[in-house]
Amino acid sequence: MIVEISHFLSVLATGLFFLTGCFSLAVRNTSYISNLISRTYSHAFLFLIISFLIYVWLAITDNFSVQYIASHSNSDLPVFYKISSIWSAHEGSMFLWIVFLSLWGFVFNLNINNDEALKPKAIGVISLILVGFLIFLLVTSNPFSTILPIAPLNGADINPVLQDPALAIHPPTLYLGYVGFVIPFACAISFLLIGDSDIQWERLVRKWSVASWVFLTAGITLGSWWAYYELGWGGYWFWDPVENVALMPWLAATAFLHSLSVSIKSSHLRIWTILLSILVFSLSLFGAFIVRSGIIDSVHAFANDPDRGLYLLAFISIIVLMSMFLFIFRFSVIKSADNIKRFSKESFISLNNIFFASLIFSVMLGVTYPLIYEYLYDQKISVGAPFYNAIFIPITILASLFLFISVDSRWSRSINIKFFTKPIVISIMLSIIATATIVFLFNTKVIAIYLSIFFGLLIIFRYLIEMWNSFNYKKYINPFSVIAHFSLGLLLVSISFNSLLSSERAMNIKIDEYEEYKGMKVYFNDIKFVEASNYDAVQAEFYIEDSAGKNFTLNPEKRRYFTRGQITTETAIKVTILRDIYLTIGDQLDDGSWVVNIQLNYFIRWIWFSAALMAFAGIVLVFSKRKI
Amino acid sequence: MKALLKLTVLILPISFILMFFVLLTDDTPYPGADYDVFDMPQFQLKNLQDNELIFNSDIQGDYIVNIWASWCITCRIEHPYLMNLSKQGMPIIGLNYKDERRDAIDWLEKYGNPYETVIHDLKGTLALDMGVTGAPETFLVNNGEIVAHYQGEINPSIWADVFMPVIDDREMF
Repeated sequence: MIVEISHFLSVLATGLFFLTGCFSLAVRNTSYISNLISRTYSHAFLFLIISFLIYVWLAITDNFSVQYIASHSNSDLPVFYKISSIWSAHEGSMFLWIVFLSLWGFVFNLNINNDEALKPKAIGVISLILVGFLIFLLVTSNPFSTILPIAPLNGADINPVLQDPALAIHPPTLYLGYVGFVIPFACAISFLLIGDSDIQWERLVRKWSVASWVFLTAGITLGSWWAYYELGWGGYWFWDPVENVALMPWLAATAFLHSLSVSIKSSHLRIWTILLSILVFSLSLFGAFIVRSGIIDSVHAFANDPDRGLYLLAFISIIVLMSMFLFIFRFSVIKSADNIKRFSKESFISLNNIFFASLIFSVMLGVTYPLIYEYLYDQKISVGAPFYNAIFIPITILASLFLFISVDSRWSRSINIKFFTKPIVISIMLSIIATATIVFLFNTKVIAIYLSIFFGLLIIFRYLIEMWNSFNYKKYINPFSVIAHFSLGLLLVSISFNSLLSSERAMNIKIDEYEEYKGMKVYFNDIKFVEASNYDAVQAEFYIEDSAGKNFTLNPEKRRYFTRGQITTETAIKVTILRDIYLTIGDQLDDGSWVVNIQLNYFIRWIWFSAALMAFAGIVLVFSKRKI
Repeated sequence: MKALLKLTVLILPISFILMFFVLLTDDTPYPGADYDVFDMPQFQLKNLQDNELIFNSDIQGDYIVNIWASWCITCRIEHPYLMNLSKQGMPIIGLNYKDERRDAIDWLEKYGNPYETVIHDLKGTLALDMGVTGAPETFLVNNGEIVAHYQGEINPSIWADVFMPVIDDREMF
């Protein structure tokens, strides 16, 4: 019965969103209309959120008459995982995705004054997008369908690799990031619909875009961390199709934020900014399509159903094509300032946008090329790290160089850049010294690594000097920009050190024996069988003595979960500031020894720290008192 | 210049949409199926039941190879259909995949044995050579050549749509 109420409320919400959408787009704006639209949206949202909360309640109370809950949750699970089981598969996660989309619209609706010319149409655009996705949910992937007459007693189980705190929060964070870009998208569309070039939609969406960007950055970082310790991938980035599909909106969003600030400051690049806002949201939708249509095999891909894929493709095509047509027809309305001055901040940001556009295009190519190739030649190929490295490394190095030069540039002014100012000379000197030391210490021949360390350090030192000047001489800095770019430098250096220093080895060890690796002694003490409530496991105990004489034990496991029979590898990680010692066990060999994989991952925590710091920079901006 | 931009802005998404439409609709209804033809890999493993060594030469002619394990839930689901096939006289070779010998034998005793022979592939070496990604998977072998492969549970409709066309085409069994 409760299920039906929840189901009914979401159908009701769909209808109300539909009315709101049609009405706001069909009717000319007056303050009465604007209030009305704002209120109907809020009510529709209320129905949807209540429907969702009831659904969460059903999951908590183990209502296994709901098919989705019965097949993804289990009465033995802790409450936390009962809730997170909702987004552990397609139907529920789509539901959450939609609820988040409407939530952004709701917060936007509350925070923006009804007098704002763009608001009613923007709310209308959001409503219609919601209608499309709600119909998709209710028709092709209904989370409310029930098992009648007899409900199972215990339910199945959530996928064991998903029983993990990082995973419970990683998808929601990422979804909040993806769908948050509906706000700039909807505002850009309503700007085009109204066709009044004087409306400054860019100012309105700045903080909203940064907020979504923060969630996207944090979501990607959490996902990377989860794959490292739970999936046992042992690295931070794998160019997995679904990682790429999250990276593309991130790159587009970052380019968008840059171009947006140009449009706000000096009315340049306005057309390009609109195009980017459409691109960011389209790429977010594209991500949903890739993951949910089953067109690409990946750890993230949901169960395959061609109908879902076709519906999503049709709906996304409508959104994208209509935006593009609108863009083309209203192209001439947008007044954008011409002639960007040489060496002005605008010029550097334009350059940055070219770099970003090439990166997005390359990732898109990497994701789609195997599909095209398989279609044409009936052969599977995979595009992997070498391709992406070959493109990302030179472009990033080049972009860092221009970023370094651009620190001294000014908005709308073409100043001749002096190369021999104190901050520039000091940061170059320091970076040269540091890089030379590293070259001397670690004798590899990969020049790309030294270059990226050098340019990463250049950025770090340059922005440290900026911070120093701001502290001591009250020089004005934009804290968002300074922290974010500083984190970029840190990220570059951490990634370079990681690939320079990290190493791994697979060893065969018998119990009571030891192996030496990089000055460490790895003793295999014991292996035992452990039984837990929903799995049994072989748990090994290793005693490790490092070169400094410090010692500790690590207990990697191999688990077999009862309900699904799935086997998972539980890594054991010793975290220190500079490096992780990462241990996994494999199979037992005929001679009784075990395959043990040991990895030394240097600076891997620094990579996530840099990414987190970047997200933090965004938080600083969102909560700053600046109006835009 | 502007016309060019307008054109690109339209053509780019349209071509992407067309591409995905073609890929989605053209895709065979059975994404787990492939028909790459290659030789059955050489192996030297133990027979699950009697623990004797078993080689390629021990199994000949046309047969199907079914990858299974006692820890695999889906294998349990497809098991009745395999029993059915074996009753119809279909030669099925079981490849017991990354499984404890004792567990596997218990499983067969408990649910019934549809297999002519069961190869015990504890480390998954043969499975790796065959391109197995998990259990269950099923291969169709024609005179030492693998001619069809399906990832996932087989059932009457998969049998009819994925395997039967090849069997008829090659006049097997």
